[in-house]
Amino acid sequence: MIWQLDLSILTLIVICAFATIMVKDLLSAAIIFGAYSFLMCLLWTEMGAVDVAFTEASVGAGVSTVLFFAAVHQTTRRVRTRKSGRMLAKVFALMAALLTGLVLIIAETDFPGFASPFTPASLHLSPYYITQSLHDTNVPNIVTSVLADYRGFDTMFETAVIFTAGLAVIAILRRYKRDDRCDLPEPYVISEGYPDTIIRFIARQLAPFIQLFALYVVAHGHHSPGGGFQGGVILGASFILLAISYDSRMIIGIMSERLNILLGNIGVLIYAGIGFLCLLLGANFLDYSVLSKVLPATDKIMARSHGMLGIEIGVAIAVMAIVISIYLNIISHGKYDKG
Amino acid sequence: MDIVVIVLTVIALLFFFATTVGLLRFPDFYSRMHAAGKGDTLSSLVILLALVLYNFHEINLANLLVAMKILLIAVFIFMASPTATHAIIDAGYESGIKPWAKKPEEESP
Amino acid sequence: MQSIISSYNYWIYILLMMIGLYAMLAKNNLVKKVIGMSIFQTAIIVFYVSTGAKEHATIPIIAHGHGAVEAAVDVAHYANPLPHVLMLTAIVVSVGTLGVALAICLGIHRRYNSLEEDEIQEQL
Repeated sequence: MIWQLDLSILTLIVICAFATIMVKDLLSAAIIFGAYSFLMCLLWTEMGAVDVAFTEASVGAGVSTVLFFAAVHQTTRRVRTRKSGRMLAKVFALMAALLTGLVLIIAETDFPGFASPFTPASLHLSPYYITQSLHDTNVPNIVTSVLADYRGFDTMFETAVIFTAGLAVIAILRRYKRDDRCDLPEPYVISEGYPDTIIRFIARQLAPFIQLFALYVVAHGHHSPGGGFQGGVILGASFILLAISYDSRMIIGIMSERLNILLGNIGVLIYAGIGFLCLLLGANFLDYSVLSKVLPATDKIMARSHGMLGIEIGVAIAVMAIVISIYLNIISHGKYDKG
Repeated sequence: MDIVVIVLTVIALLFFFATTVGLLRFPDFYSRMHAAGKGDTLSSLVILLALVLYNFHEINLANLLVAMKILLIAVFIFMASPTATHAIIDAGYESGIKPWAKKPEEESP
Repeated sequence: MQSIISSYNYWIYILLMMIGLYAMLAKNNLVKKVIGMSIFQTAIIVFYVSTGAKEHATIPIIAHGHGAVEAAVDVAHYANPLPHVLMLTAIVVSVGTLGVALAICLGIHRRYNSLEEDEIQEQL
């Protein structure tokens, strides 16, 4: 918590945010947005939120930028400038933003000072988590233990939300060959990337290491920053890397649409399945301590740790499948043939 | 040992500064990418080396593991960053950006 | 004046939120609106994470050596992990929302052949 570093990174973040919305070229806006996400990740590391920073680094500075690129690649690239006609709307938007900002500033005078240990957020419930988490669950990473054990219900529905997002993208964009009777114009350009030896070689060499690192992040999430989401996104990103350097037809051959949806289902099913297993064994839903009856040679505390590992694996599988599915849908504009 | 770490960090910062100046001042896309790719990779590797040396305040197993992990990161940056530069320059060449050619000097009156 | 100095960071977070809100309302291009939405989401996340930061506190992973016995854990020594958990969910949901928003943009472009809001409104 060094306030000089805080202030300098925040200044850069504000400059990046201004630049992102002001540039005329959409591709440059996507790149500057990637830089903005990365600076946010640095800010959160400096504030001590390493799990959040890890997730933002993999999701925001990685997958989000690729999705923006894929979407802009399919459509127009430049923003069409307009001389007048929108001034009234801009003035109204500025007044609305200033008014909301003013209300928020008046509200924030009640806030406690920055970075003091006695803020109300730190006084009521979180001391219990900090002091008891290692004793209850034998997992040193407090964020993982709260996410997967104390608040496991939230995380299950978060995985379901990811799965629903993947389904929504399929519902919006997917076109099958037999539906092409409609004669809407095809305005987009599908460019065949020409094969480049160096990029293909390096991507082929790096992909197994990226996947190994992703599996390490999932498994080691109990002791270091990491966990299911970060590992799943990195796994998906390795496949996207191969899809970009090779043709996406190769990735569609490996991870077809049916396999993606199946894996997404299996991920959510593992999560809910472990919860139901706890129900069947006679305790509450997602109460992992009864898993000690099923797993050999564990007591109640270690069973909670193993239960957390199981649901993290489920989350990683689901997130990987959905990230790949969203990317393939956007890059091939729903037709899954080129890209 | 601290002196070595400080010297290495200052060298890396100098290389970063040179990269940024090159990125802004070179007249052409290809020379800018040349400066960015090489300077970026070298500066990252020197900073990581400085971090490895800073880690060795006491030689024990945990610090050795951390040092090996940082060295692995350095290996991956060495593989990936020049490839990314190559990809950008290839994309520029395919789009038809022409290299900057020095214009002939005009006749002085 | 003292209150401004001590709470400068909240002002910057509010500034970021208002940049995102302005981009969502005033920009003509649909992708710029989506970028504004993302800026708004990350500004809210940084606001929440900052309420969990503590001075001279380390990351919320309890220090454990190899085979060390559990020592007493001091609460003020670790950053507050509860906002981190909530914001993890928020980031993952935001990437799902981003995917769906970009898919809707692509669908609109396919139908109306434009990404500018007023051109689409003329065609409606």
